[in-house]
Amino acid sequence: MTGQKPLPPIDDDTRAYWAGLARGELLLQHCRACGHVQFYQRALCGRCLSPSLDPRPASGRGSIYSFSTVHRPPSAEFKDDVPYTVVLVELSEGPRMISTLVDTPPETVRIGQPVEIVYDRVTPEITLPRFRRAAAPTAG
Amino acid sequence: MRSYRGQVAIVGVGETPVGKVPGRSALWFNAEATRLALEDAGLDKAQVDGLVTAPSFVAPFARMSVAVSEYLGIRPTFSNTLNVSGATAAASVSVAAAAIHAGLADTVVVCCGDNMLSGLTRDLAVKALVESRDPQYEAPFGLLVATTFALTAQRHMAEYGTTPEQLARVAVVTRGHAMKKPGAQMTAPITVEDVLASKLITTPYHMLDCALVSDGGAAFVLTAAERARDLRRKPVYLLGGGESYTQEHIFCAESITTTGAAISSRRAYAMAGVRPEDIDVAGIYDCFTGTVVMMLEDLGFCKKGEGGPFVEAGQITYGGRIPINTHGGMLSYAHPGLPGGFFHIVEMVRQLRGEAGERQVAGAELALCHSLGGGFATNATIILGTEEKG
Ligand SMILES: [Zn+2]
Repeated sequence: MTGQKPLPPIDDDTRAYWAGLARGELLLQHCRACGHVQFYQRALCGRCLSPSLDPRPASGRGSIYSFSTVHRPPSAEFKDDVPYTVVLVELSEGPRMISTLVDTPPETVRIGQPVEIVYDRVTPEITLPRFRRAAAPTAG
Repeated sequence: MRSYRGQVAIVGVGETPVGKVPGRSALWFNAEATRLALEDAGLDKAQVDGLVTAPSFVAPFARMSVAVSEYLGIRPTFSNTLNVSGATAAASVSVAAAAIHAGLADTVVVCCGDNMLSGLTRDLAVKALVESRDPQYEAPFGLLVATTFALTAQRHMAEYGTTPEQLARVAVVTRGHAMKKPGAQMTAPITVEDVLASKLITTPYHMLDCALVSDGGAAFVLTAAERARDLRRKPVYLLGGGESYTQEHIFCAESITTTGAAISSRRAYAMAGVRPEDIDVAGIYDCFTGTVVMMLEDLGFCKKGEGGPFVEAGQITYGGRIPINTHGGMLSYAHPGLPGGFFHIVEMVRQLRGEAGERQVAGAELALCHSLGGGFATNATIILGTEEKG
């Protein structure tokens, strides 16, 4: 690890999300009006604009919707990490999110593989949601 | 449907030298391209009452269109600094045409210039790009803009069997085109093997699958069709335009292999009253090789999933179905950031005027330009023609 990697600036929209991750929960917002499940954390439902949203922990399981192994670091802070694999994870609840894989050799990564969340505590406030290959296929 | 079809024409184009052009500012690239475009149009700067440009990565001006106007010594009554990332090129031409058609301005300069290569180191350029990702949900994971596009290509390969060789072929073909374009940044011939042997950047993309980093600027002059007929150059008419903004984050995209380009192009074809099979030559934003493959599908030049075989069969060059990026595109001609997509439009104007020399597509009457950005967050299409009514 070198230098300061970009850390998310917590605001009112995302406070609950980062607090959830810090205690080991990946929160998805469930709309009480229309049932829509959304990622990322917002003050209103992206489908019906209702402000009534219920943050519920996700299963933390999903599958690799797509991936790319980064060989050229975006900045010096990521130099020691390359090659690392960025994944677009499709959560079993439906929404997708960007993350990186841990404990997974890049050449073994395939689209469709099941993954599960790993909570990577970076600072007392910030825990980044990362993923690793899951043993069994997920129901979703 | 209300429409600017045939109401507005591009009457002048200008391009600065591109590639490594040290010592010149972003303002200069805008101004020099504009000076050349006005000269080409045979118009005096006093006749310009509108100016549209895009922000610079390097220069600090928040009101770039105002700063460029001052540099040129003009006081327009219509001004816009437009930024829809890579889609800015076609979108700004569309906005200028709409402004003229609506009576907001009579003669609009659309320009864009930057010095991404000399003004920013390559590392800083990449850093500027990563910092354009969402600081909450993307940047902490070291997501290059290139990686967002790579995710789409990887998925396209899995869904449709597109191969790395087919992606590489795009770079090889457009390099061949750049070899015939005076001033192109990269003119050494390359092979599919060269592309695949070049350094991996973000899989499946190698160095030669990625656009260049350059300095350069381009400009167009637009005016009403009835005025265009009296000017020195053969007018190139705006026949249709369409845009689409489907999401900000790649993870919010409904599909990552069918993009907003399908929507923006459908709107542009409908306004122009033409079909994909009517288009003679195209300028397709080529930030990455796979981007072109997907756009060939979404723009309707081939069926979804057949972009790879279409490229492999020689359909994107002379003698094929649709020659694209005859100037070499951003993969081989130049990519100074936001100006990258503007050179495609300059080239399409030259093709329609019949001025492309040994790059000329014989009898070209209809051209399509498509610009896009932000991992397909933004898409803009315009259709140009030699006749007012397509
Ligand atoms: Zn809702």
